[in-house]
Amino acid sequence: MTSLENGINAFVEQIDTPIASFFNSCVHCGMCADACLFYTETGDPKYTPIHKLEPMRRVWKRNFTFWGKLAAMLGLSKPVTDAELEEWEPLIYDSCTLCGRCSMVCPVGNDITYMIRKAREGMVAAGHAPDGLKGATVRAVEIGSPMGVTWKTVQAQIKHAEQDTGLTIPVDVENAEYMVLMSSMEVVNFPEYMGAIARIFDQAGVSWTLCSDAIEATNSGIQIGSSDIAAQLVQRIVDGAEKLKVKTVISPECGHAYTAIRWEGANLIGRPYSFKVLHILEVLDELREQGRLQTEGMETAKLTFHDPCQLVRRGGVVEEPRRLLNMVASNFVEMPDAGVWNWCCGGGGGVSANERADELRLKVFSRKKAQLDAVGVETLVTACSNCRIMLEDGAEANNMDLQIVGMAETIAAHLPTKTSTTATEESSS
Amino acid sequence: MKKQVTLGEQLRQRGISRRTFLKLCAVATSAMALPPAMIPRVAAALDKAVRPSVIWLSFQECTGCTESLTRSHAPTLESLIFDSISLDYHHTLQAASGTAAEAARDKAIKDFYGKYLLIVDGSIPTKDDGVYSTIAGRTNIDMLKEAADGAVAVVAVGTCASFGGIPYANPNPTGAVPVSELVTDKPIINVSGCPPIPVVITGVLAHYLTFGEIPALDSFGRPLAFFGESIHDRCYRRPFYDQGKFAKSFDDEGARSGWCLFELGCKGPTTHNACATKKWNGGVSFPIESGHPCIGCSEPNFWDGGGFYKALSTTTRPLANWTGAAVVTGAAVGAAAGVAAKRKRSAAKRAHHTVTADELKKKEEA
Repeated sequence: MTSLENGINAFVEQIDTPIASFFNSCVHCGMCADACLFYTETGDPKYTPIHKLEPMRRVWKRNFTFWGKLAAMLGLSKPVTDAELEEWEPLIYDSCTLCGRCSMVCPVGNDITYMIRKAREGMVAAGHAPDGLKGATVRAVEIGSPMGVTWKTVQAQIKHAEQDTGLTIPVDVENAEYMVLMSSMEVVNFPEYMGAIARIFDQAGVSWTLCSDAIEATNSGIQIGSSDIAAQLVQRIVDGAEKLKVKTVISPECGHAYTAIRWEGANLIGRPYSFKVLHILEVLDELREQGRLQTEGMETAKLTFHDPCQLVRRGGVVEEPRRLLNMVASNFVEMPDAGVWNWCCGGGGGVSANERADELRLKVFSRKKAQLDAVGVETLVTACSNCRIMLEDGAEANNMDLQIVGMAETIAAHLPTKTSTTATEESSS
Repeated sequence: MKKQVTLGEQLRQRGISRRTFLKLCAVATSAMALPPAMIPRVAAALDKAVRPSVIWLSFQECTGCTESLTRSHAPTLESLIFDSISLDYHHTLQAASGTAAEAARDKAIKDFYGKYLLIVDGSIPTKDDGVYSTIAGRTNIDMLKEAADGAVAVVAVGTCASFGGIPYANPNPTGAVPVSELVTDKPIINVSGCPPIPVVITGVLAHYLTFGEIPALDSFGRPLAFFGESIHDRCYRRPFYDQGKFAKSFDDEGARSGWCLFELGCKGPTTHNACATKKWNGGVSFPIESGHPCIGCSEPNFWDGGGFYKALSTTTRPLANWTGAAVVTGAAVGAAAGVAAKRKRSAAKRAHHTVTADELKKKEEA
């Protein structure tokens, strides 16, 4: 059973050398506050990123420092209580999207985001995770998707996509070059993704497949902070990919799924993969570079790109979307702070799965709104379904007239039409 | 008042040839660090110099400064110049005593008011109205102020007069102060040293006689010509310092080999004086050449500097032994702390509670 004791034990377990040195190095400068949209948009000092780690810091001090141990021995310091963990729960889960901006500004190089990710391990073991995330996690483990999407639902989408595109969606094909993962969000809310991928890959002539055992790319274990569950979810993908013997697994338009499968996954399961992991943006840019991605026509509407945090800051995918957009858009403008300094939409890191945080995430959307207002675009392109949902919520709440689309479908809309290709082939033959 | 006799006349009367005089001028010129081209000018100036009246006041002192001057070998320039100035009052050297001596001083002050040079050795006690040192029933403060009023400039000879010296050292029971604290309206030349080098004293006087003005001074009011460089920079043992060869005790191989005395407390690096170049006892040697570290006697507060035999700063060589031990100890403590931390984490890992979907569900339902 989850308990305070298990939670404290998990904190101790998670305090590795980097975390110990980070706590030791903090100079209390407060620069992380100004990097966090939960602080800038509310002005409440409790949202200072490093402050969100106070319970973990106290566990570190009591267990790993000379003075802390001495104080604990002499009864001069109080251990972290269950009530304190409860008080910190909203700080760790509701007001942190793991966006990574604080880690970027820390003058002593503390990776605060990594620390919060680790602190969540203790919180979930102590039973202090938000109900919304718990539910999503349970569904991910038991049904296979945080939104409760089953293979049956996916099959229905496959059928629609095949009808729309006139192409066959390959399923469980062995030795394909790419295995495509999806997020539940794409299955339920943005079915256009599957069709877009099918058309792009068809045009580029790449072999790909879906895997009926491993379609879901998102990882609620990462968001709630349970490595046990996260490893279990990653293992499904690894098993599926290895069964089909694919060369590359493609993370869909989702931020944390990319972090989970690309950066944390191998560490979670404790061994290297037998395949490569790329984000769909990286794959598209590779195809573009190889000349296999051809487009025609240009979007003339003024548009901008919202960088998903996990892609730019944790993943380093910065130039790829810009190169792709420049292929299909003639009036592409950048928001202030675009790229590695982009501001989070406010719904990442499990915040959008946590109903308790709804009011707060819509409040802090003011930062994104200010960024968008500065450029005044008609279309907003992004590459994360979770960002996309949050941006839609935010735009609606603020009465913003904005069309929000995904990158893959934007590219797919400018593929040379099948008929014209065929006509050319026929005329030339 | 007798006719003013020039220095040149005086010397010729004493049988000093022109050739000898010029040689002496050359020595004086080089002592003042002036270019050789200046020798004729020095000679001309000294030849024509009218014997200026000099009043020498001795206060809280040990007479070492006077001794330094008188023990120098004749006929050096210093003794000649002293024969050639009108030393109207010097209570150690003068023949007169009692009322007659005091009368000589009063007369010189009156006759040469605004023209005489005042030389002071010794510090001045100020505590309890200055009762700790009196001459003919008058305190040093009183006497200094009266004599300084009519002086063209004041030469503070010795570290006591320049910076307070030994009487000024902690706890300074007499409230001793240097001349510069009591005389603020006259040019003061500090010729520090305990005692100062004779040629430095006479060199300053020669400069004044030659140019009629005081020489260029450093921030402590000392003539730059003599105090511009440190003992260390001009020390003949400097190459050993650069090679890291130090005497560790007064009877070790290093001491016998004449290595650097830095580790035995030599204050040469922080002391500005001409000892290493002008030397002592008619150019025979200077303290370091005799195997003793410089004690820094020409610097302010040299007596309270923390021990004559204590090195200015610890060198890296003895530190290396300590560093080795400290690194080993630190590494051992660090490794022990690391092992303890690792053990703690391993224990925590063994006690790991696996979070399952089931228990999240239970909690959610609860």
